[in-house]
Amino acid sequence: MRKLDLTEKDPSKRVTIYFEGQPLEAYEGEKITVALLANGVYWLTTSTEGRKRGAFTFGPVPMVVNGVKNINARKTAVKDGMRLERQGYGDFQENVEIDEDKPVLRYVVDVAVIGAGPAGLGVIKEIGGRLTTAIIEEKGWLGGDLKVKGVEQEGFGDPREALKELTDLPENTRVFLKSVAIGVFDKGEYFLVPIVRGDQLIELLAKRVVLATGAVDNIMLFENNDYPGVFRRSDALEVMNVWGVAPGKKVAVVGAFPEELTAELDRWGIEYVVVPNPKRVEGNEKVERLIDANGNVYEVDAVIVSDGRRPDINPVTQAGGKLYFKRGYYRPVLDSSHRIREGIYVAGSAVSIKPHYANYLEGRLVGAYILREFGFEAEPCVYEERLKNYEPIAVPVHRLPLDEFNGEDVQICGCDVTLRKVDDVVKSGITDLQIIKRLTHLAMGFCQGRFCLFNGAVVVSQRTGTPMEGLDIPVARPPLKNIRMKVPAGRD
Amino acid sequence: MPTKELPEMSEITIIGGGIVGVTIAHELAKRGEEVTVIEKRFIGSGSTFRCGTGIRQQFNDEANVQVMKRSVELWKKYSEEYGFSFEQTGYLFLLYDDDEVEEFRRNIAIQNRFGVPTRLITPEEAKEIVPLLDISEVIAASWNPTDGKADPFHATAKFAIKAEEFGAKLVEYTEVKDFVIENGEIKGLKTNRGTIKTGIVVNATNAWAKLINAMAGISVRIPIEPYKHQAVITQPIRKGAIKPMVISFKYGHAYLTQTSHGGVVGGVGYELGPTYDLNPTYEFMREVSYYFTKIIPALRELLILRTWAGYYAKTPDSNPAIGKIEELSDYYIAAGFSGHGFMMAPAVAEMVADLITKGRTDLPVEWYDPYRFERGELRGEALQMG
Repeated sequence: MRKLDLTEKDPSKRVTIYFEGQPLEAYEGEKITVALLANGVYWLTTSTEGRKRGAFTFGPVPMVVNGVKNINARKTAVKDGMRLERQGYGDFQENVEIDEDKPVLRYVVDVAVIGAGPAGLGVIKEIGGRLTTAIIEEKGWLGGDLKVKGVEQEGFGDPREALKELTDLPENTRVFLKSVAIGVFDKGEYFLVPIVRGDQLIELLAKRVVLATGAVDNIMLFENNDYPGVFRRSDALEVMNVWGVAPGKKVAVVGAFPEELTAELDRWGIEYVVVPNPKRVEGNEKVERLIDANGNVYEVDAVIVSDGRRPDINPVTQAGGKLYFKRGYYRPVLDSSHRIREGIYVAGSAVSIKPHYANYLEGRLVGAYILREFGFEAEPCVYEERLKNYEPIAVPVHRLPLDEFNGEDVQICGCDVTLRKVDDVVKSGITDLQIIKRLTHLAMGFCQGRFCLFNGAVVVSQRTGTPMEGLDIPVARPPLKNIRMKVPAGRD
Repeated sequence: MPTKELPEMSEITIIGGGIVGVTIAHELAKRGEEVTVIEKRFIGSGSTFRCGTGIRQQFNDEANVQVMKRSVELWKKYSEEYGFSFEQTGYLFLLYDDDEVEEFRRNIAIQNRFGVPTRLITPEEAKEIVPLLDISEVIAASWNPTDGKADPFHATAKFAIKAEEFGAKLVEYTEVKDFVIENGEIKGLKTNRGTIKTGIVVNATNAWAKLINAMAGISVRIPIEPYKHQAVITQPIRKGAIKPMVISFKYGHAYLTQTSHGGVVGGVGYELGPTYDLNPTYEFMREVSYYFTKIIPALRELLILRTWAGYYAKTPDSNPAIGKIEELSDYYIAAGFSGHGFMMAPAVAEMVADLITKGRTDLPVEWYDPYRFERGELRGEALQMG
């Protein structure tokens, strides 16, 4: 067992990798980031401004793999003998091999579902093979956030059992795993949903589109919140429940929803402390201690942020949807059939924050609306009634202790944008998020604002007294996820 | 740049707070004139906000070369005085066949005549300037090291602050709705926030110029239409990897360079319109990726972070309409920059300020005569990029 292994791994899959020259044990199928974590390696890359970064919170993880720079360590699996080295964000591969461009694949379906969490799977389940469907999922598995849960879930019970049932898909469903949809483009007769899977460009032509694109974990602001050893809720759950690796020997849980983590940590027997008011993390190459607002010091080797989730608004605004603010987050404006516009539906935690089972019901609901549009019998009102039992969860908008932080050390965005930089611009009287973007680079990096725009809005709201609903939120532009230029460069 | 109340009156009112409107206001205020800018959103929010950074003197006619020579002098002067970045990292036009080389020899001769030090260089010299280039098909390049790039939003913001210091009023989130005209004379402008009394108006609204002309009741035909052009930015890479603006007409009329933040930015000729729509398209993403990776193969492995769109306010000969409209006293236009308005702005400001304050200018403003379209005297098409 490696330093942070929670489970015994299959010895027949054991391989050796080299990190900065040191041999380490790894297992076939593991992602680079997970294999390194299991060995206790947290610091993987260095930002443009020289900040040490890990793999489990915001910001990219470019590494040198077998001498090739700028490889995404989050998406690359280990291989026997693999040589890994750290690099800075700005390092890139100057000499590239020009392989043959792969021809574009094209598929026509009735319904394209983006996202394979409980909502997306609910849509497919409800349609039940009566229409041709495609489901597109960035992760390597079906089940979304439910898949990373280890403890019983309301409505579903054991998440593994529930997923067995949910992932039994009809034959006329095309499944695209490890695939990103780069946008939804209205072509009049149909919607074009281009997908990137590895280096392959796939064009999906669909009559209807469902955004079951989920929510993203909130990034909490405290000093050195970008440090190696800081985990987002989802990443901590994934390393434990999907990969059988602990975030650390002793961890601190921070944020408004610690219970989402503590039950899971209890299950694995990982020692933890809940700290409600983090101010700063410190350490040499990784987190070694957490200091709270009262000056208490906690010796830990990881910090897990469980501060709730908010709908990922990028797919919604790129597809032409409008937003409103309620219960602490921006959500899509929907018509009475759960559409942001004709032909484009939204379901799940992309709509509002609620239990997995409610998201699943919402997927069924949208599936029922679509069936009706195609002339099949369906009863959306049954799901509407059941959904009424689930009041969406309110997510607290923290009052930021802006004047108590050392704003220089608080990272609002993974691309070296500090809280101080944003706050200074706002204090100078500039309160339009479009201008703040241009002046600070907030929301202009790898995540396109997914993890930082909300906090930028909070700073503006707090400094100016303008309510969150009164702020003009910049819309997302394609590609919805970063893609390598060679992929769309191919010619038919 | 705080929002100000709309003043009751102003001698001169400029409609449009983009780079052109703001630099005109800056020049007039510096000369002691009373001037107000009315901008419907925020300063620099239109095409200026979406613009590609380039500043070049490599044009193909005498007027544009002279104007841009002057403009670069002003970019240099004001960037130093006001403390914004203008880097003279050059413009590099990659050439692939004899016809292109011949055409650029002619352009270079005109440029040299007016003191712009462009020269024809070898592919190897081009690769020394940008080591990432694929020069396997390049036979020569046109190179002027005094061209450059600046951040359009930062530059506009600096000119705006200085214009205010000189006494100009910049009024944001205020939209002009109509003109008050009596006996062929402008008396004021009606806005969504009240009326401003004014006698002299400059239409600096570029993509929206035809709407303002219609409000003013101008009968002379000045064809300016908004076209959708798009741009892309990659992940940031080591600074200084691509210093100049690199142009390739062969590969899709592509232009690309590196921003001060490190990302590779640029676009291609792919044009849609006329339209006021600004949604980026999938087709652009494919085009730009295909052409860019032909010019610099290393871009293949870089991540595309974002695409966006902005307007080229185009005229039939890709030259702006700059001048006084005689049928209405005193109405001026400076619009229709066809994709290269940012770079021209400081010189345009000088020309317009000269016209208003002196009735004449030393720069060849007649090339941009707003009446040329009606008279059927189109210019040779200005070298348009992207």
